[in-house]
Amino acid sequence: MTKKRSAEKISRAWIAAACAGIGATIGAQVAHAQAPQPVTIRFAAQIGDQAFTCGRSYEGIGSPASRIMPSDFRFYVSEVHLVDESGKAVPVRLEQDGRWQYRDVALLDFEDRSGPCLTGTAETRDVVTGTIPPGRYRGLRFTLGVPFALNHEDSTIAPSPLNLTSLFWSWQAGYKFVRIDLGSAGRPQTIKPGEPMPTFGDAEGSLKFGFAIHLGSTMCSSGGRIERPTECRNPNRATIDFPEFDTSKQVVVADLKALLEGVNVDVNQPKTPAGCMSSPNDGDCDPLMRNFGVSFGGKASEGQRFFRIR
Amino acid sequence: MPLSHFVRALVSATALLAGVPGVAASEPFDWRIPSWLPPPAVPPDNPMSEAKVELGRRLFYDRRLSRDGSMACADCHRQSRAFTDGRPVPVGITGERHARNAMSLANAGYLPVLTWGNPNLTRLEQQALLPLFGETPVEMGMAGREQELFAWLRADPVYPPLFERAFPERAGAIDLATLTRALAAFQRTLISARSPYDRYRYERDRGAISAAARRGERLFFGERLECFHCHGGLHFTDSLVHSRKPFAESAFHNTGLYNLDGKGAYPQQNPGLAEHTGRPEDMGRFRTPSLRNVALTAPYMHDGSVASLSAAIDHYAGGGRAAGQGRRSPLTSPFVRGFRLSPREKADLLAFLNSLTDRDFVAAERFANPWKEGPNAAAGRDPKVVRLKQ
Repeated sequence: MTKKRSAEKISRAWIAAACAGIGATIGAQVAHAQAPQPVTIRFAAQIGDQAFTCGRSYEGIGSPASRIMPSDFRFYVSEVHLVDESGKAVPVRLEQDGRWQYRDVALLDFEDRSGPCLTGTAETRDVVTGTIPPGRYRGLRFTLGVPFALNHEDSTIAPSPLNLTSLFWSWQAGYKFVRIDLGSAGRPQTIKPGEPMPTFGDAEGSLKFGFAIHLGSTMCSSGGRIERPTECRNPNRATIDFPEFDTSKQVVVADLKALLEGVNVDVNQPKTPAGCMSSPNDGDCDPLMRNFGVSFGGKASEGQRFFRIR
Repeated sequence: MPLSHFVRALVSATALLAGVPGVAASEPFDWRIPSWLPPPAVPPDNPMSEAKVELGRRLFYDRRLSRDGSMACADCHRQSRAFTDGRPVPVGITGERHARNAMSLANAGYLPVLTWGNPNLTRLEQQALLPLFGETPVEMGMAGREQELFAWLRADPVYPPLFERAFPERAGAIDLATLTRALAAFQRTLISARSPYDRYRYERDRGAISAAARRGERLFFGERLECFHCHGGLHFTDSLVHSRKPFAESAFHNTGLYNLDGKGAYPQQNPGLAEHTGRPEDMGRFRTPSLRNVALTAPYMHDGSVASLSAAIDHYAGGGRAAGQGRRSPLTSPFVRGFRLSPREKADLLAFLNSLTDRDFVAAERFANPWKEGPNAAAGRDPKVVRLKQ
């Protein structure tokens, strides 16, 4: 059902961007004759068949099966297209609401800052809204991540939703495309405000952050030169493709349980960030990164598992 | 060293850069620096003003910028230690140890690339995001808490008028842009150029340094020790940009501290430049730190693993610590070949390095904590914690 395409190479991303531009031009011409129609694409955050809620625990996650308590669940999507009956991908022109959507990027946010969800916002968002030329559409395609052209702009002056500090990834010169944090049975999250901080010299301080899943581009230096990155060795953007999708009836489910298939969330490779923060040398990212639909450690993804249609 | 070898090494290790934003003509801002010293480059979107610098100084010394109110920027960058913290590595508010040593902020405005080994961090405005909001490691722990931060700054009796004076074009807006720009403006004023060696070298005061320091100077700038190839220039580092230098230069070198696998591997948490470029030859390459005030900034190296200046000289004398342990890294810079020093020569070299200490800089009131009472009064003064035994 799920056909995966990894936008691994920046050249391919540029082609996609160029296609989107052409599509927009065509769309504009069509729109001249017929007004664009509103379109809403609904998303849901689940752990298996259960809805994600801050503060709730979920059993049977990962391998071996563990119990987890997620404390953040946000991700950026971009380059959203509907695919028409001829197979042509037509870009959705996102509503520019000054909050959740900017240019062709949208933030989806399922945490409400309650309970253990300490780094997020009280507001939540489960839809992408925009317009598209009238037509008969049967498929959905989008990118998980922030497009390269926006990922490396000055984040101190970026517009919403690219100005949330908890989604900054300043060390990697970009944004966290996905932020899902969780405590697990083996790696509980024990950092809470108001509680005594760990004593100085606690070399295992990072263990207190549980198991973090931060997807983003890495190795973004342009060959060691000091200028805005011109490419990232590991773009880590996944193209998600659903050939059959009915916007009026169906929902795109982001399933944390499926993402963690084959992942041991109770351990952390020593001297690597807690969980998987997309580091190319972090064994905790395998097969997690490939479950996102991007290659990792020289191994191609066997198909993304994070998203499905309900 | 043969010239061809020298050129090859320079080409391999040095990125010569053009067109870095920010080399703009200085505004009529009084830098209060010696006339021989070119002022720092200032980014066009963050012109200098006294009001902005004063705001940045308040923020720099304000512990309320951290999640639990325990840590100001100044707590890892203490003026008395030339804005370092005296520890091998800093520890954030959650107890997490940073992987790398807190760098001196002296002359940070002259650096085209910031931190130890991240070629993407080219502006102080951008770098400020890391300690404030970074999570790998957590330092001040403010990720996701910027709205609370702005809210208390707006409600504070001190800050709103300071922001209004500093950012009239933004009507005193208190947000990420103004916060980071004020911090950057203050840091650009942290200029150290009044050491005895400066008086000797640039102001022709022959007696400003001792005869031993002058002998040490010759060793430092000689081909036997080769120190100056990387620690050369205005600020004793080969990474430099300023207002009269439109072409920024920056370089990263492997000094042979580690060779874990026979191929030059560094510990996993500190691969250096290779973390960002992915190039195997960039393993263990870190940006050359300035040697100004070096006598005040122990312990040394990117991970604080060299305790004293004497030990740092021994490291280079041995051709890199790994070589001293019989495992010279194949990635060691060709400038780190090793040398022999007599005890007197070593004392001379130390005398020279000590002549780079700028007492005016570490005492200057304009760089000091402006908070005279309340919880911020201790910021940057007392170490937050005692030094950890390594």
